[in-house]
Amino acid sequence: MYRWDFAPVLANADLLVAGLVNTLRVTGTALVVGVALGLALALLRLSGRRLASWPAGFVIEVFRTTPPLVQLFWFFFALPLVAGIEMTPFMAAATTFSIQSAAFFAEVFRGGIASVERGQWEAARAIGMSRGQALRRVVLPQAVKRMIPAFLERAIELMKTTTLVATISYADLLYAANEISQRSFRPLETFTVAALVYFGVITVVSQAARRLERRLAVSGESTVR
Amino acid sequence: MGHRWDFASVLDNYPALLAGAVGTLRLFALCLVIGLGLGLVVGLARSARSAWIRLPTGVFVEFFRNTPVLVQILWFYFALPILLPFEIGKLAAAALGISLNSAAFSGEIFRGGIQSIEPGQWDGARALGMTRGQAMRRVILPQAVRRMLPALTNRAIEIFKMTTLASAIAYVELLQQGRLIASLNFNPIEAYTAVAILFFICLWPLVRLTYALERRLARSD
Repeated sequence: MYRWDFAPVLANADLLVAGLVNTLRVTGTALVVGVALGLALALLRLSGRRLASWPAGFVIEVFRTTPPLVQLFWFFFALPLVAGIEMTPFMAAATTFSIQSAAFFAEVFRGGIASVERGQWEAARAIGMSRGQALRRVVLPQAVKRMIPAFLERAIELMKTTTLVATISYADLLYAANEISQRSFRPLETFTVAALVYFGVITVVSQAARRLERRLAVSGESTVR
Repeated sequence: MGHRWDFASVLDNYPALLAGAVGTLRLFALCLVIGLGLGLVVGLARSARSAWIRLPTGVFVEFFRNTPVLVQILWFYFALPILLPFEIGKLAAAALGISLNSAAFSGEIFRGGIQSIEPGQWDGARALGMTRGQAMRRVILPQAVRRMLPALTNRAIEIFKMTTLASAIAYVELLQQGRLIASLNFNPIEAYTAVAILFFICLWPLVRLTYALERRLARSD
């Protein structure tokens, strides 16, 4: 019978904490940039002008239909050669996950904007607002509220996807766990602890998301998936 | 953009890419069948009346939904063999991680689909003298599966993309072979671009199919 021994893992807890901080840093960066870029992509796609909507659609489709790990490798190994720039693992990860989540957020935004009744647009135009004003003042505020559940789900997916950065040696939580397991020869304990830490953090976030979703449901707004 | 693209150095290595494609497809097929099959079982268990069945599957679903797949694959490859008296191969570890993860996700799809069927369908089937199992098999599931189809093809796309994670434990699949070609020929730009294009070509028809299914479903409901 195997004897579990968590002491070597706990002795390196500081590494794991530093890893978790790095995981959250990548997630946070990708979330902020991804939402902004996603809104821009969605607006371009809905703009009604082919010159704007086709390139936006192409970016969205490409980043949604290729594996994130392939994108990460491309940005880390190939882009520096094409563009002649230095790429740190953090930059590569932030770039990849920002654009990738932007592609997914764009679809969330598009669904949210499309779900707002046409009458809202027409009424806003009728009282003299421009298209941009109607979007900003009338349509988006309603759309954003409906998008919140889909948005939070995407954010959780994003956090799980960031584990891929461990493959390009960025010191995130998973990478730290791998280091510790090789040093201590305790893979069972280290990977179990790493899995539990992810489970804990993600469960807290998704419970909060669920509660928020219920409150939104009470206030009578339908949700967009 | 001074780079001169040279895809010949990638195409010369087509046997390696072919081996990678076979590895990707094998892993994908395995995870699709096991993941969705087990997902159906999980979905049925989650809709069961007995709490003894419902609660443990609930814990399984929550655990696998709330941890990253890569962590699961590494756990099955590096950690699980310590507890077991036998070795776990790369294919088995990757297939275990991805299949169980997909089972948890598709289990929720099946549960949602089953719950979306009106209670009247159950009552009608029971009134005709069917048992719960027969009603499920003959009346509820056929209708539910139709509604779930877009969500399930989406899952299949996700599974296909997840197979790249097996490269983290050096299982021979497309991305792993791309990395090999890149390191032997010093052509990461072309090698990774080629891999990305290959994935896009494989998944694009599936994505179109999903859109078409979604549209058809929206019309018929």
